[in-house]
Amino acid sequence: MAVKIFIATDRLDSVLEKLSTKIDLWIPALLKDDKSGPTGFVPYEPGKAVAFDRQTTMSLKKVLLPQVETLLRFEYRKEPEGAINSTLAVEDRREARPTLVFGARPCDVRALTTLDRVFSNGPYVDPYYTERRKNTLFATLVCRQTDAKCFCSSVGGGPADMEGSHLRIVRTDDGYIVEALTKEAQSLLDNLGDAPDASREKQAAEIVEEVSRRRVGDLDTEGSAEAFRKRFEQTDYWVQMVSQCLSCGVCTYVCPTCYCFSITDEAENLKGERLRSWDSCMFYHYTLEASGHNPRPTKLERYRNRVGHKFSYIPERYEGLLGCCGCGRCIRSCPVSIDIRQVVGHLKENTNE
Amino acid sequence: MLETDRIQLHKLVEEALPELDMMIGWTESCDPLQTTPVFIRDAKLISKLTLGPFCSQNLAGYLVKPPALESVPKDAKPIGICVKGCDSRSLVALIQEKFISRDRVRIFGIPCRGTIDWRKVAQRVGLSDVKSATVEDDFLVIDASGTTHRIGLEDVLARKCLGCRYPNPIIQDVLVGQVATPRSSSLETTYRDVDALDNKPIEERLAFWQSELDRCIRCYACRNACPLCVCQDKCIAETREPRWLTQRVGLPEKFLFHFIHAMHLAGRCTGCGECERVCPMDIPVTLIKEKLNKIMEEMLGYSAGLDPDGVPPLLTFNPGETEI
Amino acid sequence: MNNNPYLPELATIQEIITETGNIRTLRITLNDKDRMERFTFRPGQVGQISVFGTGESTFVINSPPTRKDYLQFSVMKAGEVTSRIHQLNAGDQVGLRAPLGNGFGFDEMKGHDILFVGGGIGMAPLRTLLLYMIDNRADYGDITVIYGARSPKDMCYTYEFEEWRAGGVNLILTVDAEFPGWKERVGFVPTVLSEVAPSPNNRIAVVCGPPIMIKFVLFGLTELGFEDQQIITTLEKRMKCGIGICGRCNAGSKYVCLDGPVFSYDQIRAMGGEL
Repeated sequence: MAVKIFIATDRLDSVLEKLSTKIDLWIPALLKDDKSGPTGFVPYEPGKAVAFDRQTTMSLKKVLLPQVETLLRFEYRKEPEGAINSTLAVEDRREARPTLVFGARPCDVRALTTLDRVFSNGPYVDPYYTERRKNTLFATLVCRQTDAKCFCSSVGGGPADMEGSHLRIVRTDDGYIVEALTKEAQSLLDNLGDAPDASREKQAAEIVEEVSRRRVGDLDTEGSAEAFRKRFEQTDYWVQMVSQCLSCGVCTYVCPTCYCFSITDEAENLKGERLRSWDSCMFYHYTLEASGHNPRPTKLERYRNRVGHKFSYIPERYEGLLGCCGCGRCIRSCPVSIDIRQVVGHLKENTNE
Repeated sequence: MLETDRIQLHKLVEEALPELDMMIGWTESCDPLQTTPVFIRDAKLISKLTLGPFCSQNLAGYLVKPPALESVPKDAKPIGICVKGCDSRSLVALIQEKFISRDRVRIFGIPCRGTIDWRKVAQRVGLSDVKSATVEDDFLVIDASGTTHRIGLEDVLARKCLGCRYPNPIIQDVLVGQVATPRSSSLETTYRDVDALDNKPIEERLAFWQSELDRCIRCYACRNACPLCVCQDKCIAETREPRWLTQRVGLPEKFLFHFIHAMHLAGRCTGCGECERVCPMDIPVTLIKEKLNKIMEEMLGYSAGLDPDGVPPLLTFNPGETEI
Repeated sequence: MNNNPYLPELATIQEIITETGNIRTLRITLNDKDRMERFTFRPGQVGQISVFGTGESTFVINSPPTRKDYLQFSVMKAGEVTSRIHQLNAGDQVGLRAPLGNGFGFDEMKGHDILFVGGGIGMAPLRTLLLYMIDNRADYGDITVIYGARSPKDMCYTYEFEEWRAGGVNLILTVDAEFPGWKERVGFVPTVLSEVAPSPNNRIAVVCGPPIMIKFVLFGLTELGFEDQQIITTLEKRMKCGIGICGRCNAGSKYVCLDGPVFSYDQIRAMGGEL
C-alpha cells in the first residue's frame, strides 16, 4: 500500500480524475472565471482547476453541513376508506457517501472539532452531520499562504496542524507530496503515483519543519470568556466596537465554525419537505419570537452574541473548546472591515472601567 | 493633497463637533486597502478620521438603518456625516423620501476622485499580503509580500467610479478639498456596462445572470449595505408570512431575491454601488439596478438623488402619462 | 425516541378544548400504542408539535406524567405554526418530538410548601406540576396557587378549578378589572401576591406568565423574603431544533430548549445573556 506519493504539478488533474473514481471528491476551485475571484469547495469535475494558491472564500463546512438539506419528507395520503380521511407518512431517508476533500486547510479541518462537539457528541446526536462526517476524509495542505488576517496559531491550531486530517499535502517546487496519515487513507493512494525521490522528500520535510515553526497571529484568547462576561453589559464597548456592522450574514456564512441553522417546512398540496438551512445570528429574524419580542433586537446584541458564542459560551459549555479556528474569513469578507481580533483582543483591556 | 484635505477635515470637524450629536466618517482598518466607518462623539478621536480613495463605504445608510440614529429625540443635535458625490445622492434620496430631514444632518461634502476596488488590486498584485497602500499622484503604491507595486489608479477604481457623473457632493454644508472633474458626462459612458450586456443575445444574457447569481449565498450583504433598502428587518426575503421565498438556495430563489431587491429600488437607486462592493461572491449586482436607472433616465428623464425637492417618479401618479 | 432526534412521531388529536378567545388545548396520543404506553416524562418537559408543511413549535406537556390517557398541550395563537394548529380538528394528525428539556425538580420540592404564581397562558407549565402534586398530595405541604388573567374570559382550565380545590389546593383567582358576575379577587397578580403574602419558610415559588408579570412577581417574592434559589420559573425563546444544536435559544451559554425551560432565579442571574 502506498503511504506517500509524488504528484507532478502537470499531472494533478489526471490524478484527481483517477481519485474521483474511487471516492466522491471535493476540491477548492474558482467560482468565477477570474483568477483572484471568489473560491469555494466544489465536487470535482475533470478539467476543473484546483485553486490551491490561497484560502478559499467559502469554507469547506458545506461538505458536511450543506447550506440547505432535506431533513424529512412528508406526505398526506388520501384514503377513501377508513376512519380518518388521510394518513400521514414521514420519512428521513438519507445517504452519506464516502467523500474526500482534497486541498483542505488546517484551519478548516480544526473548525470541525467545534462542529463535531456540537453535532456528534451529545446529548443529542445529529445523524445528518455525523454520518457525513464519518464518511469524509480530509487531505490537508501544509499552509504556506497565510496572510495578515490569519490567526490560526492564536486559537490552538497552526499552519501545519494535521489534527483531524487523513492525508497531508505538501506543495513542493514541482508538484505535491501526498502522505497518508491514517490507515483508511492509504488505499486511496494506490496506483496514483510513485513514492517521492529523496531530494523531493527532503524538501517536503524541510517545508513541514519550517511551516510548523510559524506562529500565525498574535491574538491572546486566554481569559476571554471571563472578560466577555464582564463586558456583556457595557453597551459603550459594543457601540464602540461594532456600530459599523451591517447586520448581514457574510461573517457567519463564510465562517467554518458557525453552524447555527434554521428549520422550515416547504410543501405543495399534500407533499413537502422539512429543510435545514444555514441561519445567521446576525439576522433580526433569528431570535424574533411570535409575540414580537426579540431578545437581540439590534446589531449590537447580535454581534455581541457572535463574539460570546465563539469565545465564551462554547468554551463554557464544551470544556474550553473555542468556537473560532482563526481562518480570518470574517475579517477578509466583512464589507465594513470589522476585525474580530480587535473586538476579542480589547475585551480584557480595562474591564473595570 | 490628501494630507491637506485630511487636515482640513479634522479642523472642520473639530469646530463643528460641539454642535453635533456625533460625526460619522471613515478611519483606517486592519486592511490597508479599505477603511472602516467610525462614529465619533469624543473630540480626541477626530484625528482618526481619514478620506481618500480607500473610503469606499457609503455612510448614508447608517442614518436610517436600525438601530436608526434618527430615533434619537427630535431636539437632539444634528449628526455630522462625510459624503462623497455618490453618497450624497443617497442622502438626497433619503431626504426626498422623508426618512431624514435636511436639518438633522451636517454634511461634510468630499469631492471624490474615485474609490479603490480591492479585487482589482488583487488581480494585479495577487491576494498576497498587502502591508501598506498609499496614493502618490495618479498611482497606487502597494507594498505586498516584500515587493513594491506601482499601479495606475484608473486601473483599480471601482466599476461605478469609471462612469461617474457626480464626483462632487450634490448637497453639503461644507466642502472638504478641491472640486473634482467628472469622469463621465454622457449616458453612454455611464451605462456602458449595461449597453455591453444588452447588446448580447438574450440567451447569453440569461446565461450570464444564471452563472453570476448562482454564486449568491443569500447573506443579504447587498441589501443591508444599500442605504435605500429601508425595509431591512421587515424584508419579504425573510418573512414567512407572506412567504415569497423559501430557504432553498436554488437559482429561482436567488433570482427572485435579487429582482425583488432591484425592483424595490426602481427610480430610487442612486448607483452608489454598495450592493456590488460588499458582495462576498463578487456578483455584479449593481448592474441590475443600473439597467433600471438607465430606463428611468431614458423613459422619464429622471435620475435619483439629484434634487432634494424632487419627487421620485414612482412616488407620483400622472393620469396623463403617455409612456406607461 | 428513535435515533433521529429530528424525526417526529406521528400523533393524533383526540380532543380540542377552547380555553379562551386565543388559547386552545389539544389532547393527543401517539399513533404507536406501544410507544404511548411506554412514554415517560417529567413535569415541565416540553414537546415540539409539527404541523407538516407549516413547521414546528414548542409547548409544555401540561398534563402530568401520572395521567397518561393523552398528552395535553395548550396553544396560544401568535405566529405561523400556532395559527395553523388553531385550524386543526380532532382526528387530525400531527408530529410530536417529546419529551424535551429539563422539567421541574419535583423530587427536591418534596416536603416543601409550594406557591404557584401564574398569569394567562403561563398557567400551562404550572398545571402539569400542580396535577402531579395533587396526585402525590402527601409528598407536599401547603399548595397555594395564585392565578390571574386579564378577565374571566382569559382564564384557562376553569373547568378544573373545583378538582384542584378538592385536591387540597388553596386556589386564589384574580382578574385585572371588575367583571360582571366575578366573585373572586380583582387586581394584578403582583398586588394579590403581596396581599396573600405567603410565608417563604420552607416554600418553593413556581412562577410563569407574561414577562412584565414575572418581573413584578420576582420583586414581590424577594420583598416577601424568598431567596433566589427558592424561585423557579420557565423561560421562553424562539426555538428550532429543540435539542441544543441549532443555536438560537441561548441565554449566555445555556440553551433554553435543552438546559431549560425550567430555571431557578439564581440560575438565571448566573447565566447572563439576553432574555
